[in-house]
Amino acid sequence: MNYGRELLKGNTDSLLLCLISRQPTYGYQIVKELVKRSNGYFQFKEGTLYPALHRLERERLIEGKWQILANGQQRRYYYITDNGRQVLATRLATWQDFSSAVMAVIQPETV
Amino acid sequence: MTANASHYLNRFKAYLRIDQTIRDDAAQELYAHLQDKTQELEETGLSREEASKIAVQSLGSPELIAQQIYETHAQGSWKEAFFSALPHFLVASLFASYYYWHNVISLSIILGLTVGTAIYGWHRGKPIWLFPWLGYYLMPVVVTGILLLSLPQGWGWIAALIYIPLALFVLVHIVRQTARRDWLYASLMLAPMPVIFGWFLSSGAGNEFLANDMWMARLQAKAPWIVISFIALAGATIGFIRLKSRTHKILSLLTPPVVILLSVTLASRASIDAWGWLILLFSLFAFAIPVWMQARAYQ
Repeated sequence: MNYGRELLKGNTDSLLLCLISRQPTYGYQIVKELVKRSNGYFQFKEGTLYPALHRLERERLIEGKWQILANGQQRRYYYITDNGRQVLATRLATWQDFSSAVMAVIQPETV
Repeated sequence: MTANASHYLNRFKAYLRIDQTIRDDAAQELYAHLQDKTQELEETGLSREEASKIAVQSLGSPELIAQQIYETHAQGSWKEAFFSALPHFLVASLFASYYYWHNVISLSIILGLTVGTAIYGWHRGKPIWLFPWLGYYLMPVVVTGILLLSLPQGWGWIAALIYIPLALFVLVHIVRQTARRDWLYASLMLAPMPVIFGWFLSSGAGNEFLANDMWMARLQAKAPWIVISFIALAGATIGFIRLKSRTHKILSLLTPPVVILLSVTLASRASIDAWGWLILLFSLFAFAIPVWMQARAYQ
């Protein structure tokens, strides 16, 4: 089992909600943002993003809307919902508590 | 669109057997992704074909994405599961009391409810809960088949020449309409058919049906088992709606009707005549073929 992959899998929803909460965005931009902000740490098959977006939309945490660009290309932009913001706030708080607790345990004791 | 992208999206769409609107949206979204990625790679100096090939590879397996999207949308809510199982519960409740299934009013209420719900659902975009109701809506086809058996010797063949093509036409038309959305919904719709045929035919030869009170008495004696079999059908329907995996859905849907039909026919094979076996085989075929076709298409 790849520990890093499992961690990413467990936190995909929070990462996506976090990015979408900053500004309405679309699939390809999300992939790029994830790679950029993580300094290339998050590498995955790009298509696996879409089932996660569908799941979040079905849970009404985000909402997708088609937009037509000036060049005629269509893109599906995702917007966070009120429910999504609440869920994100709860998850971030839990994550911060968890991460602080882990750091407190693993950091070397100072004499 | 390049050949690579086109091939990729065709594979994706072929594997994703869900509501056409969702499927087209998902494919369009992947296409937009491929366009963006290809354009970006082209700007680095790659040829269009090379860029498209890398873009497709970076998306990953279309079958895996389709499967994961399917599992996201395939799980119905508890409310949908309840409404889908409701017609089976109604039939079970009908046989739970001798009074109810001999009472014209209770029979008329259930019949009216079934017809009304089926028509309502058909014109409201065919939601998933519609299909089991639609199965009971096809009951006239079943009843005609049973009445056919009650005709005097010789007439059955003549009636069969009219009935079988007509029944096939009606069934094929409705199954095709249903299968446009998903082949499995056709089986969900036809699931009650082998069970109903099995129970009716196991209670005696067809030509005893209308004239002989013994037929009704035999059916009455089996009423508790009939109730159990329709509750099992309701359970299978709830499982079908709530399960995410397509394989589990197929197993959930296929197992109860086949087990019930086999048990009923093996227990009463002596009382089923040639016509009865023909109709049983026909109903099993009609029920199982959509599942088989779907499994084949999915592989």
